[in-house]
Amino acid sequence: MSKMILDFDPVLCCGCGACAVACMDQNDYDPGTGNAPFRTIFETQELGDKPVFSHYSVACMHCSPAPCVTACPVGCLRKDPQTDLTVFDNRDCIGCHSCAMACPFGAPSFNGEGKMEKCHGCYLRLQYGLEPACVRVCPTGALRMVTQEEYDQAHGEHSVVEEARRIAGEQI
Amino acid sequence: MATREELLKAKIPCGETGIEIRHTLCDICSPSSHCGVDAYVKDGVILKVEGNKDHPLNRGLLCTKGAANRQYIYRKDRLQTPLKRTGPRGSGEFTPITWEEAYKTISEKLLGYKRDFGAQSVFFFSGYCKWYRPILQRLAYSFGSPNYGTESSTCFTSGLMAWETATALPARPDMRNSRLFLGWAHNPYFSGYLAARNTERLKKNGVKFIIVDTMYTQTVEKIADLYLQPRPGTDGALALAIANQLIANDWVDHDYIDAYVHGFEEYARYCKGFNKDNIEDLTGVPYEKVQKAAEMIHEYGPMSIRESSAPLAHHINGMQNYRAIMALSAITGNYDRKGGQMPAPFTYTHQASGYHTLEHEFVKEARKSSMAAPVGAQRFPLWNQLEKEAQSMDLPRQILEGIPYPVKAVLAFGMNYRMFPDSDTYMKKALEQVDFFVDVDLFQTDTSRYADIVLPACTSFEREEFKSYPGGYAYYTKPVIPPLYQSRSDADIMCDLARAMDLPDPLLKAGYRACLEYILSPVSFTVDQLQQADTPLKVPEFAPHQEFATLKKGLDTPTGRFELKSELIAAHPEWGLDPLPTYRAPLDDADPALYPMTLTEGGRLPNALHSRLHDVSWLRTLRPKACAEISLEDGEMLRIGEGDLVTIETPCGGITVPVTLSRRMPRGLVSMYHGYREASVSDLVGHDRLDPYSGFPAFRSSRCRIAAAARKGESHE
Repeated sequence: MSKMILDFDPVLCCGCGACAVACMDQNDYDPGTGNAPFRTIFETQELGDKPVFSHYSVACMHCSPAPCVTACPVGCLRKDPQTDLTVFDNRDCIGCHSCAMACPFGAPSFNGEGKMEKCHGCYLRLQYGLEPACVRVCPTGALRMVTQEEYDQAHGEHSVVEEARRIAGEQI
Repeated sequence: MATREELLKAKIPCGETGIEIRHTLCDICSPSSHCGVDAYVKDGVILKVEGNKDHPLNRGLLCTKGAANRQYIYRKDRLQTPLKRTGPRGSGEFTPITWEEAYKTISEKLLGYKRDFGAQSVFFFSGYCKWYRPILQRLAYSFGSPNYGTESSTCFTSGLMAWETATALPARPDMRNSRLFLGWAHNPYFSGYLAARNTERLKKNGVKFIIVDTMYTQTVEKIADLYLQPRPGTDGALALAIANQLIANDWVDHDYIDAYVHGFEEYARYCKGFNKDNIEDLTGVPYEKVQKAAEMIHEYGPMSIRESSAPLAHHINGMQNYRAIMALSAITGNYDRKGGQMPAPFTYTHQASGYHTLEHEFVKEARKSSMAAPVGAQRFPLWNQLEKEAQSMDLPRQILEGIPYPVKAVLAFGMNYRMFPDSDTYMKKALEQVDFFVDVDLFQTDTSRYADIVLPACTSFEREEFKSYPGGYAYYTKPVIPPLYQSRSDADIMCDLARAMDLPDPLLKAGYRACLEYILSPVSFTVDQLQQADTPLKVPEFAPHQEFATLKKGLDTPTGRFELKSELIAAHPEWGLDPLPTYRAPLDDADPALYPMTLTEGGRLPNALHSRLHDVSWLRTLRPKACAEISLEDGEMLRIGEGDLVTIETPCGGITVPVTLSRRMPRGLVSMYHGYREASVSDLVGHDRLDPYSGFPAFRSSRCRIAAAARKGESHE
């Protein structure tokens, strides 16, 4: 399976939050725990000649290379060899927050047991021919899961991937 | 290789996990959607949902609300058994009873009121969703009561009546063949995501868009070529001014008008009153924008216009405003024309799917000619003439006053008293007073606390049902899980009650499936075949509408033409209604010095659908608090900051909520979503502020004032 990129284009996004809810359904998120969900949405507003709004759906950027993987002292985080997504096994997590310190995007969160959790890109769904829950539901095509080749061939002019990788690169 | 545990956690449908995908539909929102769903099921439990890729409507997608189906279905407050009230009304004190006892009590009571006060003393009500409505309507008529009334007394029907007044038929925009789309209150990003996709696709293909909205919505932001921003409820004046501009420039289709339109001269004279001298004062829209809109309508055709169920209708002048907007399609020759507004007869439950069923006959044959006039008939005569069902907005008044006859019992499927204006002091009081109230619902709601008997219904995932879709599709679902607890399908409850009361209606007593076999008899597929297909099938009887077919045949209006001047209304001067689409100002007579702002209720959020999702915690994470929106300018002027608590007051009352400052909002407007238990904005709307044409409440235009109550973080007393 080729390297996969979780692409996001804020110009296509309308801020409906379907991605965030589909992610909650996929990952059995319980807001009652007070834990942070994997994916969040927000809108910014500015005033130019007319109001200007920007919509964002944000989760782990699956940086390549990923600063969190380098930062974790106990090896919980790794790049999935099949998809290149940043995945985790938090059984050994010691809750040191090094990954969160290294992450420029605030992706890692910590559950009630103090163990790290974050978006895993639905890498197992991908291996079984299914799209990530957020991508499957996105009605505007703002979120896409594409191969590196597909990404190189076509992506929205406002794709955040290049910028995210540049920022992550500075972190390593 | 992933372990079985990992596959289960990832919910991979495969042999190792035993997770199966089963097909159903989502019925959280309007039947104009009802997207196809893939439910991931294991051991009778739903683990996850996503859109069904083979479904002709949504092709694999779901919206924010639909994505939350699993949490909605498994809400902790799902009703588990039939209940009998043991404490005072509203106390929430109930004891479980059996279905047999519930049916016996209901039958004895309803038949008793029929014997003592006449069948009309029993009101049959339907809230959301509409899937069972023909069954309930037939139940009411077979019982002998004319009082079948629904939530559509505040939604959708006003626009339908505007079309019935003009053309005696429903109509739909043929958007895909348009070159110009007049998106009047068109913001599908949060209310109909599939329409948003279509809108974007058409935009890419070069279709021009005029967007008219009181707020700077996502559609304005992403789609509008021209944006007009009228104040709430002034839409009619704006439409008449655009018409006046078209007529003054001779940009109307005279041949079409001569052949198919009635009342043009009188209408044209009336339009002259809406012009460059007054239109900005009346609506807030500069005259130059009216000119620009007329130029675009002239330059690009065919033009279709957005049909609006609520935003245009929720004013005291809503139906007339709607008529004025739709008149634009007549004078430009865009009605019954490809790419314009196409006649669209309903197939089933108000959905135009391009084929015929016996829904209408199924209901009509049970209606007795000797029945009393339904609730609302005297107060809303045009409604009564066109809809021939109860106008539910008049129900609380009739329960409280008993005029012209007493209403003793209400059998409600999905009622929410907060749907009624001034609900806390009016509809709630009526529910306290009515002799006998049965409420059927999925959840223990604030309304069900007033019921004598509460019955547990089930969701679309737990039942079978028929559904028609655009493009000639017919779908008959299978349950993907058994009904939770002791819940039953609404339609089964109706047929059970017909049996329990031994009504003279063998078809209804034969059950839902038998009813649908009858209703679908003009369709080649049997119910069994539809259900076995497990996916919507295109019926061979599908016949798309051909342009001009209706006009050439002649409309069923008194003149046979598109009536700009309604001869139906003209024939009834005693109604006190205007035959032309006249305009009157929308706001109430509260003192503008005391109430300088306008409150508008119900502007859509992506994570809410009336009250039914307010208790779904995934969705509430997107907008945790019931809050009001105002402009940044008003925030500055009133010294109110983001998140501060404000009190919103009208002469009807006040609520205190946090505020959000938004550049989407114009000055002077306060917008708030409805149905919140902790802050119900419909309590601020006068219960007598109803559109005399449609009976619709003025949810979207009430004078109000706001004041800071507490800074963010400070406690509020």
